[in-house]
Parts: sequence; structure tokens; C-alpha cells
Amino acid sequence: MESRLLRVDLTTGKMRSEVIPHSVFERWIGGSGINNWIMWEHFLTHDINCDPRGPDNIFVFGVGPLAGTGAGSGIKGRITFKSPCYNMFGDSAGGGKFPYMLRFTAFEYIAITGKSPKPVYLHICNDEVSLVDASHLWGRDTLETHTMLREELGTYPSHAHTLSISQAGENQVGIASVVSDALRIHARCGGGAVMGSKNLKAIAVQGNGGLKIQMPEEMLAWSDDFRQKIDENEAVYGFKRRGTLGAVEMYQHIGSHFWRNNQGNMFRGGEITSDNWVKKYHKYSEVCSSDCFIACDAKYKIDGTESEAAKKYIGETFRRPEYLTTGSAAGALDVRDWSEVAHWGKITNDYGIDNQDLSCAISFLMELKQRDLISDSDVAELFDREQSLRWGNMDDIEFCVESIVFQKNLFGKIFGDGPYLGAIRYSELKGQNFMKYATYGKGGASFTEEMRPFPTWMNNMAVASRGADHLKGIGLIEKFQRKDLSKIYFDGRTEAADLSVPTLKGASTALIENQVALLNSYGVCLFHWMLDPAGYTPQDYYGKAYAAATGIDRTPDELMLDGARICNLEKAFNSRIGMRREHDTVCERWMWEPTDEGMYPGSVAAEMFNPVLDEYYEWRGWDKDSGLQTRKSLEDVGLGDVADVLENEGSLA
Amino acid sequence: MSSVPQKELVTGVERYPLDAEVPNVVEKLFSLRNQCTECNVCEVACSLVHSPDGTVNPQYARLKINHAPAKPSKVSPGGLGFVADICHHCGNPPPCAEVCPTDAFYYDPKTKAAVIEQDNCIQCMECVPGCPFDTVFVAPSGELLKCDLCGGDPVCVKACAARPEMLNEGKQYVRLPVLFYAEQADFNKEHKQVPEMGDEVGMMQAMLEAGKISSPA
Repeated sequence: MESRLLRVDLTTGKMRSEVIPHSVFERWIGGSGINNWIMWEHFLTHDINCDPRGPDNIFVFGVGPLAGTGAGSGIKGRITFKSPCYNMFGDSAGGGKFPYMLRFTAFEYIAITGKSPKPVYLHICNDEVSLVDASHLWGRDTLETHTMLREELGTYPSHAHTLSISQAGENQVGIASVVSDALRIHARCGGGAVMGSKNLKAIAVQGNGGLKIQMPEEMLAWSDDFRQKIDENEAVYGFKRRGTLGAVEMYQHIGSHFWRNNQGNMFRGGEITSDNWVKKYHKYSEVCSSDCFIACDAKYKIDGTESEAAKKYIGETFRRPEYLTTGSAAGALDVRDWSEVAHWGKITNDYGIDNQDLSCAISFLMELKQRDLISDSDVAELFDREQSLRWGNMDDIEFCVESIVFQKNLFGKIFGDGPYLGAIRYSELKGQNFMKYATYGKGGASFTEEMRPFPTWMNNMAVASRGADHLKGIGLIEKFQRKDLSKIYFDGRTEAADLSVPTLKGASTALIENQVALLNSYGVCLFHWMLDPAGYTPQDYYGKAYAAATGIDRTPDELMLDGARICNLEKAFNSRIGMRREHDTVCERWMWEPTDEGMYPGSVAAEMFNPVLDEYYEWRGWDKDSGLQTRKSLEDVGLGDVADVLENEGSLA
Repeated sequence: MSSVPQKELVTGVERYPLDAEVPNVVEKLFSLRNQCTECNVCEVACSLVHSPDGTVNPQYARLKINHAPAKPSKVSPGGLGFVADICHHCGNPPPCAEVCPTDAFYYDPKTKAAVIEQDNCIQCMECVPGCPFDTVFVAPSGELLKCDLCGGDPVCVKACAARPEMLNEGKQYVRLPVLFYAEQADFNKEHKQVPEMGDEVGMMQAMLEAGKISSPA
């Protein structure tokens, strides 16, 4: 198993192809594991405390070894960099055809450093690589950029697939995202700002090369088996039909939404509380990530008959809103019309900006206004014009989005890095402490779900390597109270599924982080695994597919250790930046303010926060007081070299 | 790129004399319009099973996913959906084989599908315009690719048929997959069933024709 890495230095325009040897795959699996390693090596020779928007930062794109092999588990590409908005480890996954097409060129990993003197895009056509002037694309949104590049590059050797940024990325807005094929978004952590700071508008790939499967017979047999398993899985039905949108009704029942900046946890307004919208109005076509047996995605088209508000958006077509698009609009911002929710999804995608950070920032300000903590003149100072900042007012919301994307006014400048830094800056500006109303964890914006009753989720928010994040250590066992899963993972014990005790919560975060790190490194989607976590285990079941694709045969225990190694490297990166236990925390609202509705009223995070965090460190073998890794914990996962680096810098416990 | 010729999946080599009556293909591949999600699994699987050395490359697939024919409808003015372009297995001998100057075609004894003998093919590409449905494809290496029905068990059908709502009989959705392998008569029968009969395939197709939906989801 070998792969090729393309190194691009934008300052000099020099490009170099490197071979990623078999030994690196044996240690780092692929995908996000190898991305992390490339970034770690880069920052051994460059200052890790550099400005993330400066030329010293690195931008890595990688696609894992299971992507595009017919495994049928979806494809996720991954970007890795030092995050400009949270100033720590940053990475983000995204699907679409870009990573699929990259597999058929000569390269699977791209590492970009330096800063181009003028706007360029990177064109990869099989093994030919060039930097092309992008002045005609500068100032355009992701949809225009994608359409123009596709037209420009023609259909030989294949259609072009692109990864691009919008005006937000060009303006180096901290929460700007990178968008694949104008449809699928690498949203978290501000990859768009890193590309923008390097004057890199887009990456376009075209390829017709082959992708060698080491054991094709085994691969076909595995995917046959996987198809049958998916076919027999009842959970796939609903998911296939509605995607993550199916969670709207269920969360309304549990009280797990993020309403008005998490002042409540249920949606208000009749129709928005269910996912009937997709059944009732929207005639859509299914679309799909490449190489996926589920196809959870779909397109909507608004024809103006849906509601009064829909008349503004006649003819608009885009991907059907998924849960977090809905959670951020209908939840955080209290938008009560489905067509407006859909429109919110479209503008945040076209402007290439993270709707989680964005909605938390806007709803923070709306709450200050609701509580009369800021006056109309304060608002006018921020926006250079009058703004009502009423909950759910789509005109106001759109203006807020544009303010940030185009850095139009003071609001855009203050909140461009998300709610945490935004709230700090605004508190300083006003000389008042508004931090009580900001929702964040570890410096990252909250993801728009209620988490106070769920100690594992709260622990995820506090320890995730890229700031508040639900996708690193998904609390599946706990939220759905899956005692069966708890029994499988923890030798017959069921406490991991019990919300009332802190036991096994930190342990399940650590365990699932390792599993998710494996899936991310294979380059597959997490949803297949989430639909049957016990059936499609990353270390066992997917491990067989990994062996078929790469020829690297490992036991489930070895693979779990590989997962732990990948997580430990992300942690080590943050330790080098200076992050300690005190950074592994969540916002005051979650910590101290009890929920007053939903299935679990009166919950606060503080109840179980510290015991769970202690258990997490214990399970990982890290030092509980400082939150730092110990030499033993690193050597146990084969990271002695990393321990040496940390020891030299005083970041080892 | 591999220099080894593409691997045809056949149950044997059958050659008919020039004046022989060649039986037609009975079980053919069908593709429903506009319901494809462009997941590319059929292309990936097809290229993998026909590859001599285990290489995936959609450009070597014997079927191609294409934008749905632009038949303007209320919800799909520009062809929102996709369709898989696959060989129709015309009556034997098929037009692509008839124009072949080197008689490089032979027949699979079991399926009666016309198959290209890569060793005899001189890559003159006469069969490409010879095909009335544009489903003979040219690989990047110049080889001509035509569906061989995988010797009677098409891998694209297995890949596509995996979509759960399609096979789970008696459950919420019962319908045919986008790609399926059936006898023409069976296809026509199912295809023509009226919606009142409760058959989702007929209903969906009727609604698609009427432009009421762009996809049945």
C-alpha cells in the first residue's frame, strides 16, 4: 500500500510529489490519521504558535483508503489545519464528488503551505498539476466558482470537481468554510479562512486513472455482505427517507433542541416541530455522496405555495435541510417557516460559512437585545443601520450573515471568529460581562442541540480536539439509552446508558473517539456505523474492508490502538499550543443554568462534569490535574517520539 | 494504466456461423429514469469486476451515469435527476456487432449477450456510432467496452438493488431498483401496471411521466 502526497508551496509556486510509504499507513491508517501526521511533522519545523492566517500554517486535504473502492460506506474527504477561529487543532470532513475524483488522480493527499502573491486555483489533472490565475473567480460565491471552473476545464479526462471558498474565505473570516462541489461543506474550524489567507480560491480535480484494490475478491465479498446488512437494517428506512431531519420530531419529544440560544429546548410554532414538511410540500430528487448504499440526501425546490414566506424564494433549489441546518435556524434563531430554514441552509452554503458558529453568534446578540442588555443605538453602532434583531426575522438574519461574510461593519469584525471570541470582544468593547449568554465549549461554538441532561455529550464538548464537537466522541450509547451497546462495550455493564450516574461516561467518550478516529481514517461516512454501532464495528467489521483495500491485516485490538494513537496526536498538538485541563470546559449557561423544559427539566452540566472529565483522563491515561498526556500513555500507543517533543516543550505531565 | 486487456465475464465462448439464427437476449438490464442518485456504486463495481488486476476506474465501466434526459417537467426543468446508460441488448445480431469489420463479437452461451473479444478488436471504434443508444464506451486506453451481463449475474444490479427500500418486500417501500435484470415481458408487465393496483413501480413511473414528481422518495 502506497500513496502519493502533493506538496505545494504557494509562496514560490514550487510543487513536489512525495510517496507516502507503507509504514506510514501501518502507523496512521490513512485519511485523517495521515493528515494529522503530515500537519504534526510540518509543525516540528515551523512555529506551532504561528498566526493561523499566516503563510506558516498548513492546509492538508486527504482521502482515506476505503473511499471509492465500492465498499459502499460513503466517502468523506478531510481537511486539516491550525484553526484560525479557535486557534487550536482544526479539521473538518465533507463528502461529495471531490474526494471521489481525487482518488482517480495520481494523488490522495495534498499539503499546501506558504502564501501566493496573487489569487490562484490549484488544478490537478491526473499527475499534472498547475497553479492557475484565479482573478476571474475572486469575489464569487462557491456556486458561481464551481460552475465557472466546470465550464472552463471541460470534460476531458473527466468532469471537474472542485473544492472552493466564497467571499467569506477571501475576507479571512474565521468561521469561513470550504465547500466541495458547491454542495457539501467542510464547515467546522474555518478552513476557508486558511485557504483565503493563502490566496487559494479553489482546488479542481480531473482524473481517469485507476485505483488499485489489493484484494479485489475480498473487497467485493465484503461489500456484498455490507449491502445485505444495510438491506436488513430497519433503521435505514427512516434515515434513507429523511436523513438527519428525522431527528426533529424525536428531539422535540425528548426536549433536545437548542431554542433561542438554548434558553429552551423545544421548537415553537406548529409546523416546524415535525419533519412533515419534506413529505407534504417537497417533491425532490435524491442525491447522494459517491459510493454510498444509503443515499440519505435529497433536493428540495420551493414553488411558492408552501407558505407566505416561501413566495420570496420561488424556484430556489438546494439540498434538503439536514438536522443541524434546522437546529441552527429553527432552533438557535427561532425561524418558524420551513422555506426560510431551507433558504438559510442555501445561503450559508453558497457563502461558505459554518451555520453552527454563525447561528450561535447571531442568537447571542439577539438574546442580549431580548433582555434589553443592549439598546437600539448599540445595535446601530454594530450594524451601521437600524436592526430589529427580533427572533426569527429572516431579513435581519440575512443582513447579519452578509455583515460577517463581507466584513461590512463592526458586527462582522467582532463576530467573525464565532460566538466565543465574539462574546469576549463584545464584552470588552462594552465594559460588561456578557459571557453568561454565549454558548460554547473549549472555545468552539456549540452545536445546536440541548446537551445539559447528557453527561457524555457535555464531555464531548469539553474535550473534543477541535473545540465543542459532537462528532469526535458521539454519545450514541447515552442519548438513545442503548443498554445493549453499553453491555457490549463495557463487559456487561449498563451504566454508560444511564443518564443519572456519572460512571462510564468519560470512558464511552474515549472509546467512541477511538472508533470515530478509525472511521475518519478509512475515509468513510459515520452514518452507516451509527445506524448499527454494534454490527458495523470500525475495528472489526470495517477492519476487514480496510485489509481488502490496503493489504494491511490487523486485529481489532491493534486497530483500536491505532485509533487511540490518532486521538493522542490531536491532543498532543493542542498541548503544544498550551491547552491544559482548564481549557477542557464548557460555557456558563450549560454549566450552571438548569433546563426548564423537555424530558429532563432541571439538568445542569455541573452536576457530573468533573467526575466524568476525571474518568475520561483516567481512561486515556492522562494526568488529571494538568490534563496533559503522560509519557507512559503515549508510549502505550507507540508515540514515544511525540512524548520527546512534548517533554522538550514542557507539555508532558 | 494496465496493459492487460479487460476481463470479460462470460460463461463460455460461443460463435455462430454467419447465416445462423442467433437467439435474442431474454433477460436484459433495465434502468428507471430519474430515480438514480448518482452514487456511482454501479460504475465502481462494474469496473472492479472487469478489471484484470483489481483496479477501480469508473472510466472503464460498461455503464455510465448521465443526467436524465431533459424532458422538461414542472419540478425538473433541466433534468434534475440521473439515469444509468446501459446496453439495451438489441435483437441478435446487434447493430454494434453487425458493423464490426473484424467480427470481434461472440456470444455468451448462457445469456446470449454479444461480447467483444478484446484480442480480436482493432479499436476502430465503428461500433461506437453503430450503437443506436450510445452505450458502447471507449476506455482511456482505447479499448471498447460493452456490457456482457456478467455472465448472467450483473454486479451493477446487485450493487444498486442494495438500496433498502427496494428489496424489503412487505415493508414500507417495495419497488424495483433503478437497475434491474429481468425478462422484457416481466418488465413490461410491471411497468404497465396501473397505480390502483397498488404497485409502487407502476405508480412511480406514471407520476414521473406526468411530471408530478422528480423522484419517488
